[in-house]
Amino acid sequence: MSRPTALDALRTRLGDARGPRYWRALEELIEQPDWRDRLQEAFPQLSQLEPKVDRRGFLRLLGASLALAGLGACSRPPQEQLVPWVRRPDELPPALPRFYASTLACAGDVAGVLVETHQGRPTKIEGNPAHPMSLGATSPAMQAAVLELWDPDRSQAPLREGVPASWDEFREQAEALAARHARDGRGLHVLGGRIDSPTLAAQRAAWLARFPGSRWFQYEPVDEDNALAGARLAFGTPLRARYRFDQAKVVLALEADFLGSLPGALRHARDFTGGRQPEAAVFNRLYAVEASPSLTGAKADHRWPLASAQVGSFALELGELLGLPGVHAAQSSGIAARRLRALAQDLQAQRGSALVLAGRTQPPWVHALAHLLNEALGNVGRTVEYYAPPEPWESAGEGLRELIAAMAAGRVDTLLVLDGNPAYAAPVDARFAELLAKVPHRLHLGLYRDETASACQWHLPRSHALESWSDLRATDGSASLVQPVITPLYDSRSVHELLAMFLGDTRGERERVQATWRGQAGADLDGFWTASLQAGVIARSAPPARRAPVDAAFLAQRPAAAEPASLELLFAPDPTVWDGRYANNGWLQELPKPLTTLTWSNVALVSPELALAHGLENGDALELRIEGRHTQAPVWVMPGQAARSVTVCLGYGRRAAGRVGERLGFDAYALRSLAAPWRGGGLQINRTGARYALATTQRHHAMEGRAPVRAGTLEDFRVHPAFAKDPPAPPSLYPDRPRGEYAWGMSVDLNACIGCGACTLACQAENNIPVVGAEEVERGREMHWIRVDRYYEGEAAAPRIHHQPVPCMHCEHAPCEMVCPVGATVHDTEGLNVQVYNRCVGTRFCSNNCPYKVRRFNFLQYSDLATESLKAQRNPDVSVRNRGVMEKCTYCIQRIETAHIAADREGRRITDGEVLTACQAACPTQAIVFGDQQDPATAVSRQKASPRNYALLEELNTRPHTTYLAAIRNPHPALEDDA
Amino acid sequence: MSQIFHPRFGLFVKLALLALLILASAAVLAWRGLTNEQHRIGEAVEQPVPFSHKHHVGDDGIDCRYCHATVETDAFAGIPPISTCMTCHSQLYTDQAMLAPVVQSWQRGVALHWQRVHQLPDFVYFNHSIHVAKGVGCESCHGRVDRMALTMRTQPLSMKWCLDCHRAPQKYLRPREQEFAMGWKPQDQEKLGLALVERYHVDTRRLTDCSVCHR
Repeated sequence: MSRPTALDALRTRLGDARGPRYWRALEELIEQPDWRDRLQEAFPQLSQLEPKVDRRGFLRLLGASLALAGLGACSRPPQEQLVPWVRRPDELPPALPRFYASTLACAGDVAGVLVETHQGRPTKIEGNPAHPMSLGATSPAMQAAVLELWDPDRSQAPLREGVPASWDEFREQAEALAARHARDGRGLHVLGGRIDSPTLAAQRAAWLARFPGSRWFQYEPVDEDNALAGARLAFGTPLRARYRFDQAKVVLALEADFLGSLPGALRHARDFTGGRQPEAAVFNRLYAVEASPSLTGAKADHRWPLASAQVGSFALELGELLGLPGVHAAQSSGIAARRLRALAQDLQAQRGSALVLAGRTQPPWVHALAHLLNEALGNVGRTVEYYAPPEPWESAGEGLRELIAAMAAGRVDTLLVLDGNPAYAAPVDARFAELLAKVPHRLHLGLYRDETASACQWHLPRSHALESWSDLRATDGSASLVQPVITPLYDSRSVHELLAMFLGDTRGERERVQATWRGQAGADLDGFWTASLQAGVIARSAPPARRAPVDAAFLAQRPAAAEPASLELLFAPDPTVWDGRYANNGWLQELPKPLTTLTWSNVALVSPELALAHGLENGDALELRIEGRHTQAPVWVMPGQAARSVTVCLGYGRRAAGRVGERLGFDAYALRSLAAPWRGGGLQINRTGARYALATTQRHHAMEGRAPVRAGTLEDFRVHPAFAKDPPAPPSLYPDRPRGEYAWGMSVDLNACIGCGACTLACQAENNIPVVGAEEVERGREMHWIRVDRYYEGEAAAPRIHHQPVPCMHCEHAPCEMVCPVGATVHDTEGLNVQVYNRCVGTRFCSNNCPYKVRRFNFLQYSDLATESLKAQRNPDVSVRNRGVMEKCTYCIQRIETAHIAADREGRRITDGEVLTACQAACPTQAIVFGDQQDPATAVSRQKASPRNYALLEELNTRPHTTYLAAIRNPHPALEDDA
Repeated sequence: MSQIFHPRFGLFVKLALLALLILASAAVLAWRGLTNEQHRIGEAVEQPVPFSHKHHVGDDGIDCRYCHATVETDAFAGIPPISTCMTCHSQLYTDQAMLAPVVQSWQRGVALHWQRVHQLPDFVYFNHSIHVAKGVGCESCHGRVDRMALTMRTQPLSMKWCLDCHRAPQKYLRPREQEFAMGWKPQDQEKLGLALVERYHVDTRRLTDCSVCHR
């Protein structure tokens, strides 16, 4: 289809909601004809299988494969060996999986986890229900930590000038350096990350005492500098906020993605969705004002797209409307007055149970204003409280600027980079790599031989968090221990051990962490230690709340001038690879980003309006230029993006990441500046004419627009609770299935789902699901057993956004079973639709006949059977599938069987909640419930009894065992008509 | 019409056919030889130590669970650590050449490598504990271990063989007290079996579900 036609259609369609009610891609909304063709292909994967061979070649191959088919069986099964212990450790039988409580710091967040180990191998991460910031949930990055541990590209030995060296050699070097700086430490600089660990804070204190002239900087590419500076403005001291979303009735997010990228998201999501129960008649209301759609915006009852630079004006207008003394909006933000009035009225009405938050792209004064609004609304102490962080909280940007200045002035003699990658992840105008080359002594500790490693004389492998002792403090202030679950796989050291080398600290790793907590422990250190390890959280470790009045003086100092009407450039951490540190993690690379559904790349998000003005389409190469910095990026037209804002995600364009993570996407750090790391004005864009191939999943597995996702307003629900229900299914010609002891079923509450993708990744980790790569994803061959579909509703400029996880429906009358010629997919007596890999001959009839498109075929040998370390990661209870075999969600049959055997052995029934599927366990909002749907007392039966319950494509009479609860929105009554 | 083929041609044809036959049988035999199981039924498996179940079980009367300790709790019955051997053999037969590998393993801390006798494919998830809990005796699958001087397989361990019992467990079940006994014979297996299916809550509806053994 030619470009002008599509654009003309877009032009006429923009702002006109006569297209389909729910749509997945802009092309669908504007009904681009070739798009229809694509959708009508029953099996889009096959469209790429256009045979490159001619008829004769095909016959030749056919003959050869027939002739050689028997040879595949020409080997006997390998002789296995049994290798018993010489002395068995005095513990439980080793074959049962064991769970160890630990803590992970992933993607800027800290949460307690349980690490599942099989025969001493960590294979899976679960959330720790006892940890306040996890409550049993995990984020995708936490799930992917096991793959990071077993990553074959991890750095395995110290390198000196790129040549393998030993730790003994390094120890000499460290001693020499320590002696060199023994006098006062001037010239000795440490560049670490954010300090979340009390033990690391203690080591830092010891370091600064030992080397008083030394400087220690905390640099994080994804920093909380604006929150820090905002707290300084408001309170005069850096205080952290602790939010209580369960107490909040009205929430206003000023570009604050508290469900996604802000620390504490797991807990916030649980508390927030807990306050949205239509059946229980409790329902909060969320307003989101943001430039680029986020998970929070997608869940909001009102999401108003607004340029990031205007969000401050909006907050001022709101403050003025609420009558805050000293707050005057010099100009209008452009949000309609009626919306502002409704919001102000809502906040007023819910004084004491409202909450205002500002996000990391907002300048400090907006953060301070949010604190002021919370104080004025009486929310402090109820929905938000403040505490003084026990570890030093310093500005990342200021630290980096100071270090750059020192490096440029030649004052840095030795630079120790502790687990960071500044040579890649520093803003381009810092010219970090260039300055680093001039530092006489450069040392780097890290998990990978990354960009910084190759720029340093010494690279030292860091132990993974699952291999070392430490402690971490979560964003609510509670601390917990990090315990190793395996001895280091390689010759690596933890951050603590490396620092100890310089400090001459000869204590063991565990003793060092224990020493940090001696004061807290009291007399019984051993008892305290064991209790803390078992619970996975240290009792009474969270600092108390502090009352801190907001000093409104900042209002006078805030920069008055609004930015001109130029394009603004916004930076955001990538939803999966974060700041680039997870670039070599295939699971995270292939996890579709929640809003764009892109994999393996980042993009520049532009609004449909801007795309229209510049004639841009998805995948067009765009030259971005801001204050002399420039790069080229693929375009993604993002419905709901503020008209004049362009957002780029960090974390791609890695030059030295490993076999998975290099040469993907573009490097957004090349546009970033030290002065404005999150937002810049005066962006110029220019279409270059080149095209990028983008691997997106948004068009895959379409269900032909048959209303798969259903949503209504709270008012709809009150009037007609069963608004989402279909008329009862007609009687079936197929006989009813014989009933077993249990009938497993699943219920997915779309009202709770926030679309984070944790379920997809948890499933991947649990079920040995392979990674296929960008090219295969482009062909629609991603293997995820549970996908999260994203739908838009309404106009392209400000659509409502819905997410819907889709696993196998386990239909009672499963269309796939009818068509399998070899009986490879059959029903079992407990309602599961099972796939027998050994019978499957790969006809793919089942997948063709599946109306839900949940079956996944191994077109190629996707499972890596060769790499040794990856074998150790796999779940031993799940078969690893080979090429030519169909697979799909099994409802975690291995977990059902484990529970079955345990219960049958004791002659009892499986209790409700004894079987948690992997997706269910990981879900931050408990949107997925699983259990015996035959028993009316189980949680899943209760959930399915809700009037909101509906089945996907019920008219097909497949009688699925996975059903959904319709989503409910709670718009302000005065604003009913807008998004 | 003259003869097309020379009379001696018949011999060539016969020889060629014979050669083809020999070649085909050789190929089949070679293929059989290459692909059959490592150890045939009833063929003793060579082990680093000629461990005799006959001696330990038949003569000494040691209970199965003394060595295979996790058979009631775990998927895997358990191969005893050397320390278990040493409970007796630190005192008995310590100087026997036959026992030397065990003693060396104990002294040097180097594990022994036994050859696996009962081997299932990787896509089968067999669990000992549930079978023991439901009244399947050791003997039903492992044979008269108490008579084996060297351990061998007595059953095919094929899926058909598994299904024989999964389809009609009453033909094989025993009371739990008799599970570890060797050579136990009931008076009326069919009647007892049906009673045991009832007593041990064997859900026969699902015993032939694929998901019971394959995941």
